[in-house]
Amino acid sequence: MNRSRLVAIAIVLAAVCLAAALPDQAAAGAARKVTVATDATWPPMEMVDASKKIVGFDVDFLNAVAKEAGFTVTLKNTAWDGIFAGLAAGRYDMIASSVTITDERKRQYDFSDPYINVGQILVVPKTETGKTLAALKGKRVGAQIGTTGAMEIKKVDGVELKTYDEIGLAFEDMAVGRIAGVVCDEPTAAHYALQRKEYKEKFQIVGETFTQESYGFVVKKGNKELVDLLNKGIKAVKAKGIDEQLRKKWLR
Amino acid sequence: MADRLQHPPVIEVGDGAAIPRAGDVGLFTAWRVAFFGAFAAIAYLAATRPDPYFRILLFVPDGILVTFQVTVGAILLALVIGLFTGLGRLARHPLINGAASLYVEVIRGIPLLVQIFYIYYALGRIVHIPDLYSAIVAMAICYGAYMGEIFRAGIQSIPKGQMEAARSLGMTHTQAMSHIIVPQAVRVILPPIGNEFIALLKDSSLVSILAVSDLLRRGREFASETFSYFETYTMVALIYLVITLFFSKLIGLLEERLGVDKRAS
Repeated sequence: MNRSRLVAIAIVLAAVCLAAALPDQAAAGAARKVTVATDATWPPMEMVDASKKIVGFDVDFLNAVAKEAGFTVTLKNTAWDGIFAGLAAGRYDMIASSVTITDERKRQYDFSDPYINVGQILVVPKTETGKTLAALKGKRVGAQIGTTGAMEIKKVDGVELKTYDEIGLAFEDMAVGRIAGVVCDEPTAAHYALQRKEYKEKFQIVGETFTQESYGFVVKKGNKELVDLLNKGIKAVKAKGIDEQLRKKWLR
Repeated sequence: MADRLQHPPVIEVGDGAAIPRAGDVGLFTAWRVAFFGAFAAIAYLAATRPDPYFRILLFVPDGILVTFQVTVGAILLALVIGLFTGLGRLARHPLINGAASLYVEVIRGIPLLVQIFYIYYALGRIVHIPDLYSAIVAMAICYGAYMGEIFRAGIQSIPKGQMEAARSLGMTHTQAMSHIIVPQAVRVILPPIGNEFIALLKDSSLVSILAVSDLLRRGREFASETFSYFETYTMVALIYLVITLFFSKLIGLLEERLGVDKRAS
């Protein structure tokens, strides 16, 4: 390849990068800019679509909140394991990633008002005879590391917890037969066990949700200003019934 | 680079921890400072702030065991793979030579992390391997390629005359290899193998992505629930340091005891 061609390619590349970067800056405008971390491996709440965009219930909900409360959102795809550490370190302003509000987490971080209620549920292979966590004694059950699902499995004596970086890897491991069950939030369980065509035939959801949990947005301890902003937005979104529409769009 | 190595036979592979020897005063001192310093730090932290440091110490021991299992299992398997690869790389038969060279090139061209994912998840669909074993196999397949190159270089470092002499005594090529060449080569390659062992010990932390509960994964599990990231990773790093330094010392002593050729430094 000769030099002038290289230079031409470099210029084109630079132009493309610039063009891609411009809309972001234009959108910044006067509105408050909030950087948000999300672990986009938790369908249908947050996931990466075919065009590499982060989409899902949480994303739509957050954008609706932002519109009502008057701020703009920049999403940052962040691995779950460490997502809280990044918030503490100030790498982003908040987390919107299906975070269940728990006492343990509330001690370290501040939460917005709850924006949706969910629960943990068990998914097993269709060949599995155990239909509850307690019935899976002596077997291994998977969950994403540091999730409420993992904590629930730990509570059951005799069931060995295996933690995964992403919930998708746990389902894949169950498809291969290395674990006997997966525990996660009900919407995510439904996505993998009922909608994914490669898993639909193999897995089933057993029983009902066995915890009552609510998701909230997470901010650094003491960031009252952002919590107030979020709560204002959440209230408006709920009042307008937007959350119902989003539930119909993303959750079935 | 010359195909045949000249005397003295020296191979240097520098991806492990430095292995301290009595002759190297600077490194010897550094080893002591680091080893006892790390030990003292662990003891001090656990004693003065039992929550969370002592809790971390109680949480991770089964992870340390898994780290050892992966390391020892992988190094043994890698030695076997490496020996055959090394011999294959030197074989005159074009098919054997080609296969061994292809293996080395392909494996060295793929990041270890990707290989681990591949063997666990992609091959997992075809052959069912339990998780710990697939971690061991993945590490061994990767390190086997590097080990093969060490064996090859080691065997090549033995003067040609040895083979010629053995053959003139009526030995077959195989006999000469297994009775004359390889035993001498082993002395030469022990230091780099020790190095690979240390490197593998550290790289074994990569298997934590497979939901194999090694030291790092146990640490991550602890951190993800207590949010004590700083404390947990401090402890995990110190424990790795103590283990790595302990083994590098042990290997150094072993080499001295066996009278292995000293490496140029």
